Amino acid sequence: MDPKLTEVSQQFDRFKAAMTRKDYNTCTQLLSQLKVLLTGFRSLPPLFEDTPNAICELTLASKYSSLSFKLTMIWDIYEHAVLLSVKVEDQDAFERDFFQLKPYYTDAGKRLPPSPNEYMILGLNLLRLLVQNRIAEFHTELELLSSTALENPCIKHAVELEQSFMEGAYNRVLSAKQNVPNETYGYFMDLLAKTVRDEIAGCSEKAYDYLSIKDAGQMLLFTSDQELLEYVKEEHPEWEMKDGFVFFQKAKDSAPCKEIPSLQLINQTLSYARELERIV
Amino acid sequence: MVSSAGGLLAMLNESHPSLKLHALSNLNSFVDQFWPEISTSVPIIESLYEDEEFDQHQRQLAALLVSKVFYYLGELNDSLSYALGAGSLFDVSEDSDYVHTLLAKAIDEYASIKSKAAESNDEAANVDPRLEAIVERMLDKCITDGKYQQAMGIAIECRRLDKLEEAITRSDNVHGTLSYCINVSHSFVNRREYRREVLRLLVKVYQKLPSPDYLSICQCLMFLDEPEGVVSILEKLLRSENKDDALLAFQIAFDLVENEHQAFLLNVRDHLPVPKTQPLQTVQPGSNDPPSAQNDSSTAEDVQMNEGTPASNVNVQDEDPKEVIYAERLNKIKGILSGETSIQLTLQFLYSHNKSDLLILKTIKQSVEMRNSVCHSATIYANAIMHAGTTVDTFLRENLDWLSRATNWAKFSATAGLGVIHRGHLQQGRSLMAPYLPQGGAGGGGSPYSEGGALYALGLIHANHGEGIKQFLRDSLRSTNVEVIQHGACLGLGLAALGTADEDIYDDIKNVLYTDSAVAGEAAGISMGLLMVGTASEKAGEMLTYAHETQHEKIIRGLALGIALTVYGREEEADTLIEQMTRDQDPILRYGGMYALALAYSGTANNKAIRQLLHFAVSDVSDDVRRTAVLALGFVLYSEPEQTPRIVSLLSESYNPHVRYGAALAVGISCAGTGLSEAISLLEPLTSDVVDFVRQGALIAMAMVMVQINEANDSRVGTFRRQLEKIILDKHEDTMSKMGAILASGILDAGGRNVTIRLLSKTKHDKITAVVGLSVFSQFWYWYPLIYFISLAFSPTALIGLNYDLKVPRFEFLSHAKPSLFEYPKPTTVPTTTSAVKLPAAVLSTSAKAKARAKKEAEQKEKEKATAEKTDSSSAGKGKSSNEKDGDSMQVDAPPEKKAEPEPSFEILINPARVVPAQEKFIKFLEDSRYVPVKSAPSGFVLLRDLRPNEPEVLSLTDAPSSTQSPAGGGSTTGQQGSASAMAVDEEPQPPAPFEYTS
Repeated sequence: MDPKLTEVSQQFDRFKAAMTRKDYNTCTQLLSQLKVLLTGFRSLPPLFEDTPNAICELTLASKYSSLSFKLTMIWDIYEHAVLLSVKVEDQDAFERDFFQLKPYYTDAGKRLPPSPNEYMILGLNLLRLLVQNRIAEFHTELELLSSTALENPCIKHAVELEQSFMEGAYNRVLSAKQNVPNETYGYFMDLLAKTVRDEIAGCSEKAYDYLSIKDAGQMLLFTSDQELLEYVKEEHPEWEMKDGFVFFQKAKDSAPCKEIPSLQLINQTLSYARELERIV
Repeated sequence: MVSSAGGLLAMLNESHPSLKLHALSNLNSFVDQFWPEISTSVPIIESLYEDEEFDQHQRQLAALLVSKVFYYLGELNDSLSYALGAGSLFDVSEDSDYVHTLLAKAIDEYASIKSKAAESNDEAANVDPRLEAIVERMLDKCITDGKYQQAMGIAIECRRLDKLEEAITRSDNVHGTLSYCINVSHSFVNRREYRREVLRLLVKVYQKLPSPDYLSICQCLMFLDEPEGVVSILEKLLRSENKDDALLAFQIAFDLVENEHQAFLLNVRDHLPVPKTQPLQTVQPGSNDPPSAQNDSSTAEDVQMNEGTPASNVNVQDEDPKEVIYAERLNKIKGILSGETSIQLTLQFLYSHNKSDLLILKTIKQSVEMRNSVCHSATIYANAIMHAGTTVDTFLRENLDWLSRATNWAKFSATAGLGVIHRGHLQQGRSLMAPYLPQGGAGGGGSPYSEGGALYALGLIHANHGEGIKQFLRDSLRSTNVEVIQHGACLGLGLAALGTADEDIYDDIKNVLYTDSAVAGEAAGISMGLLMVGTASEKAGEMLTYAHETQHEKIIRGLALGIALTVYGREEEADTLIEQMTRDQDPILRYGGMYALALAYSGTANNKAIRQLLHFAVSDVSDDVRRTAVLALGFVLYSEPEQTPRIVSLLSESYNPHVRYGAALAVGISCAGTGLSEAISLLEPLTSDVVDFVRQGALIAMAMVMVQINEANDSRVGTFRRQLEKIILDKHEDTMSKMGAILASGILDAGGRNVTIRLLSKTKHDKITAVVGLSVFSQFWYWYPLIYFISLAFSPTALIGLNYDLKVPRFEFLSHAKPSLFEYPKPTTVPTTTSAVKLPAAVLSTSAKAKARAKKEAEQKEKEKATAEKTDSSSAGKGKSSNEKDGDSMQVDAPPEKKAEPEPSFEILINPARVVPAQEKFIKFLEDSRYVPVKSAPSGFVLLRDLRPNEPEVLSLTDAPSSTQSPAGGGSTTGQQGSASAMAVDEEPQPPAPFEYTS
């Protein structure tokens, strides 16, 4: 059997072991090596070449592992990578790994059995987009899903969250934290609270000239004024705090509308007219 | 395949470099599909490219990827700059749109940098070395792949003469590539200076070849104006043992003559070294056994030249035989170079093949009202043009009475018309005109108008070959102070000394100019221009100053045209002068500026010039300037006639009649003789314009386009002929358009139906005389006698084969096309057909009667002629006619009656034969023929190599009627020919009997 394959599956075993040990540093290192190793396989995306040992490469089925009926799908590595990034709370890594994983879901359907974790990962990604407030991309992803996928509780969860988020039913969003379909969702649900807060802050900025600190704290779902103060300092330094009020005034100095280059337009039109007169 | 590049793009953000590399190389292969996705990540890839820590290969890969994305986004500039960053990864040999587009872009960029640098004379142009590397890689690839034409094109465009030379020398067919290169340099190299550089290089390459193509070298040298080079080549060839080399030398000489560069030719002739031990005695026999024509023609100067070396006259009887041969050949080549041989042969050809249709003229004459002097003189013009160069003046002689109605200036042009008819009749020109010439001192009874006209006529006869007549014209100019005679003398002198830049003549004419007489001054202005054609001399400044001083519009106009003539063909060099003229307050000078633009950029299709002209055509306040600006487009574009109709099509629909007129003439000039379908379609509506002078211009232009096209080629020719006839016969038609129609019928059948209007020689050089002729001709708007200048643009459409003795042997060749495609138009003499063609309703009883009378007369004449012919003892006449008979019978079976029978698909032509331009591609030389052409040209003068020199030669054109016997027997039955008039005249036409004007 191909020594490279064996190497990969051994590395992966080690990686999984480290994962269960929650030794995330080792995990990251091992993962990086794994990825480099995978680039050597020509049957993987984006090439999907039909090499003789394509099936082996895709399934990581070394002779040894097949004997023991321990089939490891290639997407397994990336799924683990995604989960790892959630564990180490690294959103960029999550995005990277997810995108590398995605071709296995979308394009390798014929060659590989579907992954049991597919919808969970997809839901996770939707949630991430929601957290990062990238609603457009959220919907793009959603459109790509089949109707059966939409029935899946993981996906459904994300979709419902988005709906509440859009309606402004922020309390529903926050309460959804209690019934997550998978424990990995917890991280993003925490982050979602912050996204909601940002959203509220943005709205109040537009809606009010000022708010009392107490009201503001309540509105932004803070339990103490102290938290509010820190939040304002960090995220909205342009807000003014005085006399127990928060003033949003400064931020309202909206930029003046773009001026229409009327003179230039007039000149151009006149010159056209002149040219027209001249033509023949 | 994957459905998204997202994964790979995500991989770019990975920390491990080998992952990035993996992503880059995969993206690079998928970019064609996923560029929209990748385009959002371009900043990341760019940063990878700029990352100094990255290794070189990876950075180049990133650059290539970005370049491709930019290419798909349509940002070619960015794309190119990144492609340069990709270094060797940018593979010029890849066959993809991306590579092709970027290569084109890179080459464009490089070429524009290089040419900009060259134009500003900035040696240290900072060209990106990477860009240069790409272009060089491309060039090398073209050369190694054997795509030499591409390589040459790029090299020329990029001003890389080193690479050009490499491409040429390494190509497998050096001669082919060289001639291709010459073509390219003429049609695509816009800057004159640079073109000269290219040609200089070509000459260099040519000379290195083991078997140089002397024909092409000499053409290049002519363009470079380096007579010494031509002289040394000619001398080498003439001194050669081999007879074929001498033939080649003659052929070179003929080809040079075709370009009509008089000053250059004279230079070459005078520089040819005199044979070392050349006593006069050896020359005389030497020049006696070549045809007497040779002898006649060259006497004028050659004798003079020989007299210059009389010292060697006495001694030596034991000359080197080689020198004798050389001397003999030298004599011939001098004859050729001075143009006399070709003029002589052309004259014989035009005379013997004259097919002009006198009935057309008669119809015109009868339908024109007697008192309408414009139409009267138009008829005279038409006659002159129709018989240009044929020496057939039957019409004039038959209608002396009618002719004598011409008075004053009409008389001037009537007399000058003789010059057109006898154009090229160098030896007898003067004796022909003698009765009308001013009689020195005796006071003479002649009117100044006919005297002036005669001087002008002499100029026309000797146009561009005025060696022999210059002195006489100068004397006449100096000895008179009648302004009409001065007018004629100035024009004549300008024509005869065309382009010679002779200082003495210039001073004489200048004196006339400074008399500030309107009539003489106008001619003087034009004449100065003719004298200085294409020299760009500083005389132009002098002329311009005077144009500002004088009060006479006529003089200003003459000078304006004269100034324009001086910058002929100088392209950029003329820009300052053009600028000066086009910005002048005086519309007449601006008008001259248009001509200057036209002539300086004639035949270059230069975009800048076209833009300028179009600008003036729509923005100038003076109608004259606008008209001329449009007209000038015709000159700029004549090398690409297909372009002109497209460019002026909008202008031809202008509300301004002057612009429409200009558009018509522009098409006429640039498409002259092509019969181009688009041109005809554009002119057709203009011939029935509402404004009379537009109709006039359109009719003339149409005739210029359709010259020598017959109905079989384009059915609209027939329609046009009928339209002309209708206009001429219509009593209510405006004089202007009637005149246009009369002139048009003249041009349509110009030169006995054996000439076309051609502004480019066969080697694609401009024909100076022709261009100058047409530009002055277009001036007839102001001054009708200038119409005659059109005769300068006529070039005979003939293939004339010559043997070593420069005689015309009997030689057959093939025209691989249906004879009817190129035959002469049917003569209108056949009574039944003419009446059938005419619309019965339109014929008035009077004119019908006149017609009938005319026909009867014609038939009468025909009979007389036939009898005259039988009694005519001139055997040469028979010989020639028998040739024509043979020609007819060779057309196997194409008498018009037997229409049912299929037409043969080929035709055997007999030297010398009429070969119209469209026919040239069908000409084939028979393989088993006795003669083999030195150069396989389909028309013009071709030297023939005799494969069987021992057999007696049969000559078909005979120049000395008395000396030759009728060659092919059986010339007894000389039935009635369509144009019998030609046959009636003696072989060597006598000067017409002097007629008296009764004014």
